[in-house]
Amino acid sequence: MKLFLLFLLVGIFLVVLQTTFFHLLPIGPVVPDLILVLCVYLGLYHPSVGAALGSFLLGYSIDTVSSPILGFNAFAMSLVYLAVYLSARSIWLHHPIVSSVVVLLAALVKGAAMVVIWAIFLSVDGFWAGAARYVLWEALLAALLAPLVFALLRRGQIFVERFNPTA
Amino acid sequence: MLAFLRRNQIFFCSCFCLLLSLYILTATARGQIKNEPVGALLMWILRPLQIVGQGTANWIKGFRDNYDTLAGFRSENERLRNRLQTLEIERQRLLEAEATNQRLQQLLDFRGELPTGAITASIIAASATSWFQSCVLNKGSADGVRKDMAVVTPLGVIGKVVSVTGRTAKVLLVTDPNSGIDVMVQRTRSRGIVSGSLESGTVLKYIKRSEDVREGDRLVTSGLDNIFPKGMLVGTVIKVRKQSRGLFQIVEVLPAIQASLVEEVLIVSGENEAAKK
Repeated sequence: MKLFLLFLLVGIFLVVLQTTFFHLLPIGPVVPDLILVLCVYLGLYHPSVGAALGSFLLGYSIDTVSSPILGFNAFAMSLVYLAVYLSARSIWLHHPIVSSVVVLLAALVKGAAMVVIWAIFLSVDGFWAGAARYVLWEALLAALLAPLVFALLRRGQIFVERFNPTA
Repeated sequence: MLAFLRRNQIFFCSCFCLLLSLYILTATARGQIKNEPVGALLMWILRPLQIVGQGTANWIKGFRDNYDTLAGFRSENERLRNRLQTLEIERQRLLEAEATNQRLQQLLDFRGELPTGAITASIIAASATSWFQSCVLNKGSADGVRKDMAVVTPLGVIGKVVSVTGRTAKVLLVTDPNSGIDVMVQRTRSRGIVSGSLESGTVLKYIKRSEDVREGDRLVTSGLDNIFPKGMLVGTVIKVRKQSRGLFQIVEVLPAIQASLVEEVLIVSGENEAAKK
């Protein structure tokens, strides 16, 4: 329960972070996707129904805050969680660079999902060039920040588990 | 069946979420979802946090903008300071040019007083060792400079040319121990030789004990050495010592010109040599 609360708070914090503070960064319109990193983390270390629903909710919260059509990010995050969950058994994740690579791949999966959904549901001029740029930038930024976020999440998890070993 | 579902519950749950997402997508695209409660709940939770977050972000942005503005003032200040420095350098350059102009004008005027054939030159190097007092001029044999020509300024004697190349001339200064200029005390017309000294600066040699030499006496060239024009200031007596024994008195001299402070000089021939021409 405490872990659930931890990830809920972290998720809310990351949503707030992505919708406010990250726009102060001088990196143009691209926003680092830490929600994605959190979903990857959940998929790797927390294979549970709650984590799957949590990923969906995280995506949905982003949709609620910023997407013109609901379900975009919910679908993408659910897909990322599922992909990471299915491949987690074969990933030996003990090095920050490996976590970066996993997040990078997950970001590309998410980007591909977004591109497909965009192409199906929305029609925008110059979509492909813009999409390719955003997917790559987001993936790179997320991969870059992944080790830090992973380390913080692990520390937070250890901190919470210290008070409740059964959590 | 139930065990299978339970074993793969995460997978099925994720698939359910995917399908649910697709449903929501489709429904939203079709405009079927008007007021959905989950989104409203999420917004209700996120709204105050976002207000606080955005307020903080705006504060940071304002702070950053203010900082940028201040930095702009700073850079403007820096730019003006640089401009001021540039103008100051330019002013110094103009003042220097004016001073050079005045010096050259003085040289030109002085040149008229000298024997004909005076050559204007600039000092381009000083002595490389403390054992010798010399300098190098930018004029040489190609410009008409010859060995043993006098090097002077309107204020006095610098030295004499001791060697010449095509484009340079080496000058042995008055203050060098190896130099020797035939001079006379302007007041009494007593003659002696002004030379440098390693131990006590520049001295006036061969002044008899009986000669009347006082501090402040001006020493001028006698013109008898056929190197220096007659009557040019060489230095001023600053100290006179008479030892208990010996024929000559010891006279210390302050050279009229400090070569390190001079930039332009005139190279001239002695009066007799000029007369020969």
